[in-house]
Amino acid sequence: MNAIIRALRKEEWSPIWSGAGLGIVAVLIVALSHQAIGASGSFENIGGLILKAVAPDLVEKNLYFKFVMPPGITWQVILLVGAFFGAFAASKLSDTFKLDPVPDPQWKRVFGPSRWKRWVAAFVGGIILEYGAGIAGGCTSGLAIAGGIALAPAAFIFIAGMFVSGIVTAMILYGSKF
Amino acid sequence: MLDYLLALIFGFCFGWLLQKAGLTKYSKIVNVFRFTDLAVLKFMMSALVVGMIGLYGLQALGVITLMKITPTYVVGNLVGGLIFGVGMALAGF
Repeated sequence: MNAIIRALRKEEWSPIWSGAGLGIVAVLIVALSHQAIGASGSFENIGGLILKAVAPDLVEKNLYFKFVMPPGITWQVILLVGAFFGAFAASKLSDTFKLDPVPDPQWKRVFGPSRWKRWVAAFVGGIILEYGAGIAGGCTSGLAIAGGIALAPAAFIFIAGMFVSGIVTAMILYGSKF
Repeated sequence: MLDYLLALIFGFCFGWLLQKAGLTKYSKIVNVFRFTDLAVLKFMMSALVVGMIGLYGLQALGVITLMKITPTYVVGNLVGGLIFGVGMALAGF
């Protein structure tokens, strides 16, 4: 019993074992819920919902919202709500939860302590990331993992593209510090 | 109702595992592209291997009868992936 509590309170688990756990979760989602694991789609569902409230015509005529990502509180949105609480519980239990405007020491070392710089990078990066996920048909979870476990070629093409441009972008951003 | 309850439980595990693996940290995401910390790669490959065996195993046992396989659009998947990687390396999510 104590060993279990210690494990739950541990700050970091081996990525190999955590990944294996996610593999099991991804399979259970297919088996029990007939859904697919995903994250980026939920933001599009919610984004569509907000846009619908502001400009209903735009959503009505938009083929993407009509056929690919209908606005609304979908199953995946609920999954994301669960993910928020899961990550919160995990960090609370290990006593590592904190609010910090520039949370990462590595970012501070390379790009300085400016919070605006970090927030703009996160915001712009988030837009680019969501846009790419929209074109590809999913993100790291919704396409790479959910598609990959079903051996869909799409997932592996996506993973290749993601790593190529990720490495190049990191090289450009970090310059001599790469 | 049960569907949404399952979504919450699965989501909870999803977030929990990402947090415990450290993948909610900026440095973990960026460092996989700098080859200094391969946690993201380890996590993904491990999830893929376990998931593949689990999914096709359950299908062979007849537990999963309907499997939706993501359709392939070579250009879309590749271009989307290339754009996605830029955002991922910049934001660190």
